[in-house]
Amino acid sequence: MGPLVNNGIISGGINSLAAVLIGALFGYALQRSGFTDPRKIAATFYMKDVDVPIVMFTAIVTASIGLFGLSLLGLIDLGKFYFLPSYLLPMIVAGFIFGIGMAVGGLCPGTSIAAMVTGKIDAMVFVIGIFLGTLIFGDFYPQWDKFYNSDSNGVYRLDQLFNINIGLMVLLVVLFAVFGSLGMKKLQSLFWGKHV
Amino acid sequence: MKKKLWNPIFGGTMIGLAMILTFYISGRGLGASGSITSFAVWVQNLIAPTYTKSSEYFSPYVANGANPLTDYMVFMAIGIMIGSFAAGIISKSFKFEILKGPNISNKGRLIYALIGGILIGFAARMARGCTSGQALVGGAELSVGSWAFMFSIFAGGFAVAYFIRREWL
Repeated sequence: MGPLVNNGIISGGINSLAAVLIGALFGYALQRSGFTDPRKIAATFYMKDVDVPIVMFTAIVTASIGLFGLSLLGLIDLGKFYFLPSYLLPMIVAGFIFGIGMAVGGLCPGTSIAAMVTGKIDAMVFVIGIFLGTLIFGDFYPQWDKFYNSDSNGVYRLDQLFNINIGLMVLLVVLFAVFGSLGMKKLQSLFWGKHV
Repeated sequence: MKKKLWNPIFGGTMIGLAMILTFYISGRGLGASGSITSFAVWVQNLIAPTYTKSSEYFSPYVANGANPLTDYMVFMAIGIMIGSFAAGIISKSFKFEILKGPNISNKGRLIYALIGGILIGFAARMARGCTSGQALVGGAELSVGSWAFMFSIFAGGFAVAYFIRREWL
């Protein structure tokens, strides 16, 4: 039963090796999906190419069905799973800054790491930027530690927010992803024509 | 001739499968920015060890002589580099170049890349994760904060897109 490392089925060393292999699959998929090209990512914000949010929605839906499906089948113990905590306000503000950075830089951390190793010089500079931004956050931490830790909601899921069954929530997310993707495709062809 | 890109549904499914593997094997999700944080702490600790060990935010990374580079997310980043490098070679898209829109200089593009990187490095720490570790993973976990983060990313991007259109269009 998973998670394998938390249940002592595999060692920490094997877990680290798994991280490398899974990372390789992730990196391969990012590159082959065109995510190492900042023009493709930035095009999202002009609705000129909506593949990036479609890939994101597909990945989320696949993984969500996988996670809660494995739990339903008794193959993963969610009690031992690390769920990300919600700090709503800091995450909303950070998301806005992050989005500005993504439109300006055309990349994000995963895609820039992937693009850097395919020779893209702009991605190397972008990674240096992330490095500096990280140090600014950490070294001036007392300036924003209160905000960073504010609006803490613990593990707070959409099914709890809407007070519905978790399976139904996964289904709603799937529907949102499908219709969201179709809607964005529609907007793309409306703004830019069918062939861009 | 470069190889054609994957269909987005296929690409998304592959990334989703990678996420399921981390969930099942490691009890956690994918991540990318965490590795750069570990690397940044490691570098700063080489240059200014006393300062780093007294830093409220960075000190846990180097507590009790720990090496910040022996972290799950660092191993994952090594994997991302191996996978992307392989894909770049196989698809014949490995090339030393600057990717940019048609109406901006190389220098202009690199300045924008640096500014974008700084904003994202800062914001990823503020959000406790990036597009991978917060938006995708938290999105799959149905985390309210992650969904708010993701919508906010699109809001921020759309808000500035018009003003920087010369960079891309």
